Amino acid sequence: MTERKFICVSCPLGCGLTVTLDDAGEVTKVEGNTCPRGASYARSEVKDPRRVFASTVRVNGGKLPVCPIRSKTPAPRGKLSEIARAVAELNVEAPVKIGQVLIHNVCGTDVDIVASRDLAAV
Amino acid sequence: MNYDVVIIGSGITGASIARELSKYKLKLAVLDKASELPAGASRANSSMIHGGFDDKPGTVKAKFCVPGNKMWHKLKDELDVHLDECGSYVCAFNDDEVKHLEKLLEQGKANGAPGVEIVSGDVMRSREPNVSPEIVAALWSPEAAIINNFEAVNAMIESAKINGAELFLETHVTGLLFDDKGDIHGVKTNKGEYLAPVVINAGGVHSGEIASWAGDNSFKIIPTKGEYYLLDRTTGGLITSFLFACPSKAGKGITVLRTAEGNLMSGPTATEQDDPEDRSTTPEGLAEVLKGARKLLPNFPVNMNITTFAGVRANTESGDFEIGALAKPRGFVNAAGIKSPGFTSSPAIAEYIAQLLKEELADRITLTPNDKFIPERRNIPRFLYMDMESRKALAEKDPAYAQIVCRCETVTEGQVLEAIRRGARTVTAVKMMTRAGTGRCQGGFCCPRVAEILSRELGLPLDEVTRHGGESKLLVGKTKEFLLKKEGATNE
Amino acid sequence: MSKNIDVLIIGAGPAGVAAGIGARREGAENVVVLERDWDLGGILQQCIHPGFGLRTFKEELTGPEYMHRFIKIAHEEGVEFRTNTMVFQIDRETNTVWTMNKERGIEALNPKAIVLTMGCRERPLGAIRIPGGRPAGIYTAGTAQRFVNMEGYMPGKRAVILGSGDIGLIMARRMIWEGAEVEGVYEVMSWPGGLRRNIAQCLDDYGIPFHLKTTVTKIHGQDRLEGVTVAQVDDHMTPIKGTERYVECDTLLLAIGLIPENELSRMAGIDIHPVTGGPVVNDLLQTTNPAVFAAGNVVIVYDLVDNVSDEGLIAGASAAKFAAGKISAGTRRIPVKGGENVRLYSPQFVTGETDATIFMRVTHPIEQACRVFAEPGLYSQRLRYARPGEMNEVKIKAEQIRNLPDLKEIVIDIQPV
Repeated sequence: MTERKFICVSCPLGCGLTVTLDDAGEVTKVEGNTCPRGASYARSEVKDPRRVFASTVRVNGGKLPVCPIRSKTPAPRGKLSEIARAVAELNVEAPVKIGQVLIHNVCGTDVDIVASRDLAAV
Repeated sequence: MNYDVVIIGSGITGASIARELSKYKLKLAVLDKASELPAGASRANSSMIHGGFDDKPGTVKAKFCVPGNKMWHKLKDELDVHLDECGSYVCAFNDDEVKHLEKLLEQGKANGAPGVEIVSGDVMRSREPNVSPEIVAALWSPEAAIINNFEAVNAMIESAKINGAELFLETHVTGLLFDDKGDIHGVKTNKGEYLAPVVINAGGVHSGEIASWAGDNSFKIIPTKGEYYLLDRTTGGLITSFLFACPSKAGKGITVLRTAEGNLMSGPTATEQDDPEDRSTTPEGLAEVLKGARKLLPNFPVNMNITTFAGVRANTESGDFEIGALAKPRGFVNAAGIKSPGFTSSPAIAEYIAQLLKEELADRITLTPNDKFIPERRNIPRFLYMDMESRKALAEKDPAYAQIVCRCETVTEGQVLEAIRRGARTVTAVKMMTRAGTGRCQGGFCCPRVAEILSRELGLPLDEVTRHGGESKLLVGKTKEFLLKKEGATNE
Repeated sequence: MSKNIDVLIIGAGPAGVAAGIGARREGAENVVVLERDWDLGGILQQCIHPGFGLRTFKEELTGPEYMHRFIKIAHEEGVEFRTNTMVFQIDRETNTVWTMNKERGIEALNPKAIVLTMGCRERPLGAIRIPGGRPAGIYTAGTAQRFVNMEGYMPGKRAVILGSGDIGLIMARRMIWEGAEVEGVYEVMSWPGGLRRNIAQCLDDYGIPFHLKTTVTKIHGQDRLEGVTVAQVDDHMTPIKGTERYVECDTLLLAIGLIPENELSRMAGIDIHPVTGGPVVNDLLQTTNPAVFAAGNVVIVYDLVDNVSDEGLIAGASAAKFAAGKISAGTRRIPVKGGENVRLYSPQFVTGETDATIFMRVTHPIEQACRVFAEPGLYSQRLRYARPGEMNEVKIKAEQIRNLPDLKEIVIDIQPV
């Protein structure tokens, strides 16, 4: 049996979570959370930690030279630097619409990269 | 490149000499290693136009201070420079210091400083209610004033340029050139040679080294650092005049003043150092300033500080200015060791230098009056101080004046563009010429905007724009290119 | 001049956009929001990370996404926006608002009511007086954020972050994601300035060291920043001799606090609270100038944008009521007082005209169960802890106030239980 402690990042409260794992690595107990989101975050964090990736992409002919993007859903934490490079290689044409998928299934993670604002062409 | 006169340094001394000499038909080159003006001691000082009581009668300083003061009261209109004609007090806290005030009063009279008088502490407090209750008497000097030193240096050099002088920035003088008789032939710089029969050394803190190139080792510059606090403009109402403590050997002591733009300011320390370029502030220096400030103004609101800075002034062992032409090599003129009251004295020094060229160097150059000399020079419009009708008219004529770039000092894009037209190439140059970035957020808001305008107007990539020239680039590259250039993964 | 404006709102960030919505929903006809930038949304347009709007929208949005939703609602509600329009003066006698715009030039507007929603700005380096040189490479975290996220440029290759405000923590991760190094985050206090989750997901995830009770004591370099000296501090925040360490870096990012931006408020002759740095307001978010209302970070710096939007809605609605003559001059003003460990709070007056939420921050952390309450007997809530970085709320119903016609003051406090 092992115990892991970390901060829940699901909401601004930042609860201190304590997760108990059995010898097979299965979660047997989550403590410290104040909501169900915290419990599911705890389970995900020990097995498959994920984060939303947010950055920018280069835009040609836009009102701004870069457009903010995000991973539509949380992406595997271990893949974030690979994703950052994939996003850095991209050049998109203005106009960009919020929610527009810019990369499908980025780095084989099954996660999409979407634009997070409208960006008009100049 | 051939000139009649090369002036080394474009601080207030060099700039004033350039303007004075532009009254004559001369081909003038002004060289300064900085990327923007003012840069050296002329940027970081107390911006004081002294009343003229502080200098021992008979010294070179005493000779120039009172006439310089008088000239500034006239130049402010001619050159369109902010001058707050506020007067100054030297404050005495005990009998010994009162005796010192009496000595200063005598000196003032001997130097011809008008209107200098001693008033009681109570009289002073009736005019300046926030000063220390422990002040027992004060020397009042009504002609003392505070100048906007950023404007003044730029005004002087612009006026010289209007009248034909050429300014070369980022031009570092590395040595002198001599003709076959061993007399002055010009200067060597990082940008090539500038030839002239007369070279004027207005090199400020470097003027001792420059003089030594001409074989003049008669004086030595002792770089002396002065540290300052600069407070938010809302604090300026605490005083209406310039406050000195009684001077010590090291300098005029810690002062409290209100800048021409209304910021409360305090300083300077007087710390001798070897490095003429070390303008870093120190914990000890800042603590000393704060102590001195609170002595004069017990409620000095240091929590409203917006920046601290230091300047390095060109002190000499004698404590006096070093002004004059060398007998050998001919053509080398010192306007060196100019420290306080240098700003005050500069126009008078410049007049003297012109006279000296006529009298002592007539074999090398001829000073024929320039009948086309234009004395007036107008500042970049100061939107902050304009009335609403003038603002409207300006914005109608040029929409760039209907766009704020610096919100703290209400500086418009029109002003920034005008500064660039007048030669600004760095963020600090724009700051010196428009005050963008001098306010309470210290460029947090306007620095990126000024950088964008510089980039657009000069056709420079944003990451080539510098804060103050040299290696002071604001940015290190474009985001995505930066990441892709980097080998391997991030430090995850 | 253009049509009569009922409610004029200054700033189209989260507070201003919400104020526009609030004013229209309350029935104001002509509601105009002025924005100095070319785009709506304010600072949130550069806050491209997720973490916004969980309470309002039940999901975590990025800054631009959050504003996109609110701006859409505002357009649907008939709020008029004027971009590239900066207010540079408010005359205190007439409440005339002076604006400038490149196409329209300089204009005077005379609305029936004004809502101030200018937000806040970052404390600059000068505020903390660090000795040393003044080279390029020192930025507030927000300025760096603008360079990276809006302009697409890197401020530096190797950063030190001073202060642990949320923007600094977010920028630490952002710099890493763009390929830069972050040597560490230094916080002079013994507790973090930002949210614990941001320490976890922005620093811990990337192994960035976080140093409490440590500060930058010297800046090295004249042209570009070359490094900083850091040192531990004692309980009086004085650097401890012998703990100095030189850190090589080309960038220093400052996350040392936010200040409400009240230049215009001062011009409008409004009382500014010495501790919050924002206008003194009542629970209608009315300032000491009856025609002027204020909401969001211009009043008090909030943790959550949801709160800013909520307050914007209230201020907009109150301004609409005032424009329609529905707020009487004789409204009650019951002062709110803070207890010993209450560093700041807002509003400072309660009227009984509306349900009130009083936001507050503690001075020192209480790392044990405690209770936030309002006397006399108006509110009591148990908390697991109270920390300066996380605001607390006191909620008082209008009815409670109306039932106490002799109430002279309300005292709010937080104490361990």
